[in-house]
Amino acid sequence: MLCVPSHPSCLEIPLRYRRTTAGVFSALLAVTLAATAQPAQAQQAEPNQVQGLTVVQGDGYATLAWTPVDGATDYQIERTAVAEDGSATGASVIVGVWRPNRQINNSAPTFADAGFAPGNRFQWRVRARLGSTAQPYSAPVSDATRGHWGDPDTPGRSLRTQWENTLGAQYTNDVNEYAYTAAIDELSDRVRVVEIGRTVQDRPINMFVIGYPTPPATPEAVAATNPLAVNCNVHGNEPGDREACLIMARQLAFTDDPATLGLLSRTTMLIVPTINGDGRAANSRGNSTGQDLNRDYSLIRQPETQAFVEMVRDYRPIASYDGHEYGNANTGDLPMLPPRHQNVAQGIFDRSQDMIEGHMYTQGARDGWWACPYGCTGANVGLSEETILRNTLGLKNVVNSLLELRSSGGPTRPDEGNTANNRRRKTYSALWTFHQFLAYHGASVGDITAARAEAIRFQSANTGRIVFRGSRPIEAYPAPHPGDTPPPLDAPGEHQILEQPPCAYKLTEEQYHGARTDGPSGRQTTVAQRLAAHGWKVVKVAGGYLVPLSQPERGLVPLLLDEQAAEGLVAGERVAPTLTGTRNGPLTVTGVACLAGATVRGPVRVQPGATLIVNGGSINGPVDASGAAGFVLTAGTVNGPVNVTGTTGPVLLVGNRISGPVNVVNNSGVAPLLAGNTVNGPLSCAGNAAAPVNLEVANAVGGPRFNQCAGL
Amino acid sequence: MTDTNAAAGRPAPRRILPITGAALAAVLLIGLGSTSGKDSGAADAVPAGVAVTGPLCDLLPAGSEPGNPASLADQPADQALQWIPVLTTFEAAVRATGLAEELTREVTILAPTDDAFAGKFSRTNLDELLLRDTDELRELLRDHLVTGALPVADLVAAGTVTTVAGTSLTVTGVGQGARLDDQAETVCADYRAAGARIHVINEVLGDLPTTAGQDDDGHPAH
Repeated sequence: MLCVPSHPSCLEIPLRYRRTTAGVFSALLAVTLAATAQPAQAQQAEPNQVQGLTVVQGDGYATLAWTPVDGATDYQIERTAVAEDGSATGASVIVGVWRPNRQINNSAPTFADAGFAPGNRFQWRVRARLGSTAQPYSAPVSDATRGHWGDPDTPGRSLRTQWENTLGAQYTNDVNEYAYTAAIDELSDRVRVVEIGRTVQDRPINMFVIGYPTPPATPEAVAATNPLAVNCNVHGNEPGDREACLIMARQLAFTDDPATLGLLSRTTMLIVPTINGDGRAANSRGNSTGQDLNRDYSLIRQPETQAFVEMVRDYRPIASYDGHEYGNANTGDLPMLPPRHQNVAQGIFDRSQDMIEGHMYTQGARDGWWACPYGCTGANVGLSEETILRNTLGLKNVVNSLLELRSSGGPTRPDEGNTANNRRRKTYSALWTFHQFLAYHGASVGDITAARAEAIRFQSANTGRIVFRGSRPIEAYPAPHPGDTPPPLDAPGEHQILEQPPCAYKLTEEQYHGARTDGPSGRQTTVAQRLAAHGWKVVKVAGGYLVPLSQPERGLVPLLLDEQAAEGLVAGERVAPTLTGTRNGPLTVTGVACLAGATVRGPVRVQPGATLIVNGGSINGPVDASGAAGFVLTAGTVNGPVNVTGTTGPVLLVGNRISGPVNVVNNSGVAPLLAGNTVNGPLSCAGNAAAPVNLEVANAVGGPRFNQCAGL
Repeated sequence: MTDTNAAAGRPAPRRILPITGAALAAVLLIGLGSTSGKDSGAADAVPAGVAVTGPLCDLLPAGSEPGNPASLADQPADQALQWIPVLTTFEAAVRATGLAEELTREVTILAPTDDAFAGKFSRTNLDELLLRDTDELRELLRDHLVTGALPVADLVAAGTVTTVAGTSLTVTGVGQGARLDDQAETVCADYRAAGARIHVINEVLGDLPTTAGQDDDGHPAH
């Protein structure tokens, strides 16, 4: 330790040891005096003094790293504002306490110091504590922190939010958000701002669509790039993530960073800064009707959630983050949680966990941010409600995570009594997370799309039990990162499980099209509109409407339509399979036939106006449907051709093995879905009212692909 | 979850170290990074100092920071409230109830912090007040207004004041601040706005029932 007269290290160390460890005082004093006498000499470590302190600047934070001290209980991080010449211009403050549960590896401790005003210059020192006994401070490091992102003299880059301009004293209000958003839209070719809906009070819900050199022109084209999405502000009184989103939009719009541009050249980032503009303006959690929107993503009673769900349907993000703030002072900086509902496909859960534990924990340990599992201290939160976006998106086969920003500094960030410090730390921690999210997406897009494809095949197969409520367990992360306490087990009870899934739900005309009272007056929507917003396939049949479970969002279907659902939309009639065993000979379908794991040794003919639903099993012989009301074939094996012509309702073929040609022709309903099939033969699609889609789940086709199916 | 500051009212002790620049220069000339200008805030026309008093003042914008007390002195009260970061709930309540007009008269505003609101009302209750029961909320706010722009010293000297809602408040001195009805204390007093004094207080006044902790408040969920 280089000791300078009047420097606190020269004063504090002897004083502390005089109080606590008189025996070593003289030796320490000798070292101190020697150093004082020869200030130019190389530093000499004192016992238990932190060595190797470095600082690296990020956007709105500074990562401190140091060599661990044997036996240290924790470390204290001290920050002092300094002038260019190094003289202190402010008080020295303990701004951080590093604890072993902060990161997955204790061999390379790091701490992301944040909360300071960007651009100011500081000096940092770190000291270990053994028990409660403070050890000598490290030699200081000093550096200028990064200013607000973007050259203030370059158009576009010079844009600033209200929050930035006021150094966090004010959040960016709605009017300033729109102006800032419009300016980015105007000045950057990479950004298109689309209005995905309106709030109850008619505020626009905007979305940044960001790609390089330009974003794809249509939602369908965006979907083809495997986009990622951030939902920034669902609770109006949790504005920290929203400010990060606004800053990130500017960075992505105007950065020259080759790595970022590389990522944006391969995908599209969707940023929804304010889904709940009314609640933000009112500083309320709910929207203007008081509805908590994060309890409405499945039911979509509100225009805000409907807009978001329709965006997911049309733009098809494969990964997402959902921004919140959390009032527990004793948890990590960044509580996160994957979709846990047990109806979520295993691969989506696993990949979400990989994003959180595999990536965020690792990168957090590198950059000094403390990510941890939400639930945090045993609180009864982070459960399986499908009404919560985290679970809704999982049930829509989107790899995703909740993100919480710890509201108060708590014991590990003791300098956050200052409101601006607190707000800045929260927002810049969110900004770090969203950049890491983009990086993870870029590095893992193959794994994410594979998980998504498998999930779509699995869900469409309609196999296995249905769980109405109940979570997958979140295991505690191995020490030294116990991750506080994971959320409760939340296993489903017996009454929340349906072992034998129905084939479909049947809704009456009144259930499907009848007026409803849930939702804001004047903006209420029917079940038909909501299922359409989810993008579900519905077959018009005699006496009502049939919603097959065998479709990509199968896990969510019963949660809205079953009589046993915890927060259902309507209690549909369960339609059981009509054939489960073996049938020798041809099958002619009139009315509705549902084959579940059935074996048909003979051809299948679907008569005009009839509906065929096949989940699994095998068919020997051609399958012909002409003028059917609906045609659903999933996870099946067909030896022979499949001809689907002139269907008036949905056509869905997912995850089948078909030996023979497949023809999808002249169907007049919504876009046929052909995804994840293996076709030994040609695939031909022509004359369909809406071109068939594959949800970016490719088909393996042995023969040529014709016309509307050329790209599938 | 709204912003809360567990440490509000308990500012970390700070002291300026007696360091001479020349002595430290040798130690601190490490890693001079890029320099970048700090964006200027809204505080341009700064009238001569406005002295605010109370333990919370240290946690609020000061000096030349955006939202510092002097920069608010000429602003309409409803605007000034938008610059005090611990008053987001009170400020939203003013807008929700259309009370800004009433704040253009000479008035004293006893403004509870966000922590005070969070300690008084459950989140559900608070949403109800902000979104639906705005008549009730307006009456509550009026119980935090006193006619005349009174410095905290004048409030203490008066001993008793009557709120615009008609409630009588007993005021006693506590240090440089005031205690109101043994219910609340000023935590940062004597903000000035155009025609107004704003005293930040640590509890909600009035007689609405306390609902904090009654619903999901214990573990606010995402």
